[in-house]
Amino acid sequence: MSQEPLIKAEQRRPDWAALVIAAILIAIAGVIFFDAARLREVTGYSPVGPATVPHWIAIGLVLLAIWTIIAAFRGDFPEREKQEIKPVVWVIGGLAAQMLLLNTAGFSIATGILFAATAAGFGKRKIWFSLPIGIVLCLVVWLIFAGLLQLSLPAGPLERLFQ
Amino acid sequence: MKHVFLASLIAGSIALPAYAADYTIMAPAAPGGGWDQTARSLQTAFQQEGISKNVQVMNVPGAGGTIGLAQFASQQKGKDNALIVGGYVMVGAILTNKSPVTLKDVTPIARLTGEDEAIVVPASSPIKSMADLVAALKKDPGKVSWGGGSAGGVDHIAAGLIAKASGVDPTKINYIAFSGGGEALAAILGSQVTVGISGYGEFESQVKSGTLRLLATSGEKRIPGVDAPTLKEAGVDVAVQNWRMVAAAPGLSAEQKAKVTADVQKLATSKTWQETLKTKGWQDTFLAGPAFEAQLAKDISATEGILKDIGLVK
Amino acid sequence: MSTFEFLMQGVVVAMQPMNLLYALIGVTLGTAVGVLPGIGPALTVALLLPVTYQLDPAGSLIMFAGIYYGGMYGGSTTSILLNTPGESASIVTALEGNKMARAGRGGPALATAAIGSFVAGLIATVGLAFIAPYIVKLALVFGPCEYFALMVLAFITVSSAFGDSTLRGLTSLFIGLALSLIGIDQLTGQTRLAFGVPDLLDGVEVTTLAVAMFAIGETLFIAAHGSFGPDKVEAVKGSIWMSANDWARSWKPWLRGTAIGFPIGAMPAGGAEIGTFLSYATEKRLTKHPEEFGNGAIEGVAGPEAANNASAAGTLVPLLTLGLPTTATAAIMLAGFQQYGLQPGPLLFATNPQLVWGLIASLLIANFMLLVLNLPLIGLWVRLLTIPKPWLYAGILVFATLGTIGANPSVFELGMLLAFGVMGYIMRVLGYPIAPVVVGLILGPLAEQQLRRALAISQGDFTVLFTSPIAAVLLAIAALALIVPLILRARGRGEVLSQMAANED
Repeated sequence: MSQEPLIKAEQRRPDWAALVIAAILIAIAGVIFFDAARLREVTGYSPVGPATVPHWIAIGLVLLAIWTIIAAFRGDFPEREKQEIKPVVWVIGGLAAQMLLLNTAGFSIATGILFAATAAGFGKRKIWFSLPIGIVLCLVVWLIFAGLLQLSLPAGPLERLFQ
Repeated sequence: MKHVFLASLIAGSIALPAYAADYTIMAPAAPGGGWDQTARSLQTAFQQEGISKNVQVMNVPGAGGTIGLAQFASQQKGKDNALIVGGYVMVGAILTNKSPVTLKDVTPIARLTGEDEAIVVPASSPIKSMADLVAALKKDPGKVSWGGGSAGGVDHIAAGLIAKASGVDPTKINYIAFSGGGEALAAILGSQVTVGISGYGEFESQVKSGTLRLLATSGEKRIPGVDAPTLKEAGVDVAVQNWRMVAAAPGLSAEQKAKVTADVQKLATSKTWQETLKTKGWQDTFLAGPAFEAQLAKDISATEGILKDIGLVK
Repeated sequence: MSTFEFLMQGVVVAMQPMNLLYALIGVTLGTAVGVLPGIGPALTVALLLPVTYQLDPAGSLIMFAGIYYGGMYGGSTTSILLNTPGESASIVTALEGNKMARAGRGGPALATAAIGSFVAGLIATVGLAFIAPYIVKLALVFGPCEYFALMVLAFITVSSAFGDSTLRGLTSLFIGLALSLIGIDQLTGQTRLAFGVPDLLDGVEVTTLAVAMFAIGETLFIAAHGSFGPDKVEAVKGSIWMSANDWARSWKPWLRGTAIGFPIGAMPAGGAEIGTFLSYATEKRLTKHPEEFGNGAIEGVAGPEAANNASAAGTLVPLLTLGLPTTATAAIMLAGFQQYGLQPGPLLFATNPQLVWGLIASLLIANFMLLVLNLPLIGLWVRLLTIPKPWLYAGILVFATLGTIGANPSVFELGMLLAFGVMGYIMRVLGYPIAPVVVGLILGPLAEQQLRRALAISQGDFTVLFTSPIAAVLLAIAALALIVPLILRARGRGEVLSQMAANED
């Protein structure tokens, strides 16, 4: 693990990531307040209605946001390890591609792409090698789980050859 | 790598007997519930009777079946090999969830089964009859807590109808919704709630063993072999039944619809299906064609009325 | 003594070679499907139930029991090896189990899970046979107020057991609670935070969130370390089998997990997860090696796994004695029983003893077969970790998404998987614990519903929450669990301070 020690001066400045988190927490609380306002209190007998618990949670989130802001200025957050963005983009791209292609291309091709993209994210960039492996592997998985075990997995052109 | 190809070949040859144009049945609920069991029983019966060789069941759980219904209506349009299981609960859920997709967006084929609602109290309860219950309800509706299934479901609707027919404001009923009949049954057995209301099947074994007292059942007729009056006999003018149906995809031609109806009809009269009904304790209330469509329309408008009365739908 | 004779008779039937083979097939099939993340025992049993219809009643009952146990156990294997909990009840297993696997102790982790499951299953099944009628009476005393108190206890023990920063732990928990609001409010039928999206009406699926935050979040986190990432995973360090020390540290958690899991499973609204949470918190309190918790403490695997299995046997108590299916899995089992002519209910033990004892014997045999199948496989499973990282993580994502697609084939669900995966990654980077989010999602709605039910039944009287003796005791334990660590910590800090002062001299 590479834990590059942060420079002292940096620690004294507010932790921007923490401030962003505080802002997100307040935003979530706002959404909950907004949504709870339109609920009808139809429960006749319980004083805790459908909007009460959302209010409690939203108040909790606001308090946590304030706490986070204080912690951010005091530099209470642990130091973060350096992150490489490129592999993350590969994996997220693979997941997005699978999601979008699933219903048209079928399980094997869509998931095969995910397989290859993830491998690429981890350094195996030879797509011409990993993509066919991924697709064949997923086809085998499809045949076992959809064919033999009756799990409903979307079929595409490749799967229809076996139906 | 060789092994992978070999394995795929073997797996492929096993899977080969399956071919297209077989039914896919959607159960718009999680595995285990009534609709899932109906779908899986249909699957077994379709296959064993040779009506369809390979039937797949697909679960799309959620929101009283409306999520599955929406997905079914958009994805299966015009396909004559897709079925969805549904029922009375879906009618209520479409209204309370303000679902954009309704039963008008699919092709209802037939009603398959029906079940009477049962009104029960723990054996130790001071309430001995429907008349006692009505009296308690009139005295203070808040003190009578009803344990049953989800809000806006058939149990809730039946409770609202009973209150209304007894001259009690339906918005004043103290209905406690539980997730599923099982949890409600536990609350009734533990005397956590005053009265329980759910499908008769949920309570049957408790009633037979004497731990629960059956006050009334909700059908037009008494359940054979059950010693309890119907609501009407007990002086509460309510008749309601929970039913399950099967529907096909939207946008079918007349021939396609006739084909699906014929298949379902064949299934409903088959030996396998009749045996399933018996082992599961489901009442056979098969109804298809225009008669079913008319009944469905009637149920929908009646349900809308009572949900407004209870205050769940504006 | 007729009870015992019936049981023996059942065991003899189940021990026939053909039936043992069916049990093995059932366990293998159940494990194969149950191992998929997101596919819990309920769907596994539903998918495979038709397979058993072809056999004679005894054989099908046994195969069914095998599928059930296989499906249950499958989830913990992926939890431990791949940090991908297959179902909500094995989320806790991932916490310590995966840390152990990372440290080359995957073998002992899998072994303690398997043996712990076996021990718990054995004790709980015997308990089912002999004390079911008493347990069920206790379970029925639990009404909404008592459940609410139980949830409060679960919240407190769990939140004090996760993470090293109170702020970040609480923030994670509240994010989970906020997510738990999404969907239809069960008590009034109104939708909350769904914004008209039909796919959100039923809320966020626990398994989707767990698979996303654990499997996908973890994959992204590891990927982001890139070439300068951590050293290669050591698949095996030391013995693959449990050492004498492992045994010594495991057997008490097994028994405690069983004692916690069985009664909670028997409660109609208890839920298997809660038993695992409580067991984890208990082990963390009682351990002699607190420094290992969070870094791979074997107690943290042994206890929750035993609790999980014991509570599964526990759900059979209301199912068989009351005909009350309390979980989705139990509901499917009920459907299965009906197929074999078994009508669960208060009269079952009297009217149909052969079948009941046949079932219980089958469960015992299936439980045993699970051990027979899994112990030799441990060596093989652990080898999974020697697969080079690119292929291993590519495979993990294939199986993680396969489970989600199989459980609910919708693009929206995959979108949620992706979104929560990214969220899990970011939370990891910023040092937020993951488990409290999932805990909040599970416990939030339970606590809210029970509170509102209790108050509706009492017509708004808040005192009912404290006046029931059981609820009062549970709340008192919760209060102790909250206060005692604070006192201990204060005192500990005092000691440290005095030590520091002494050192300065």
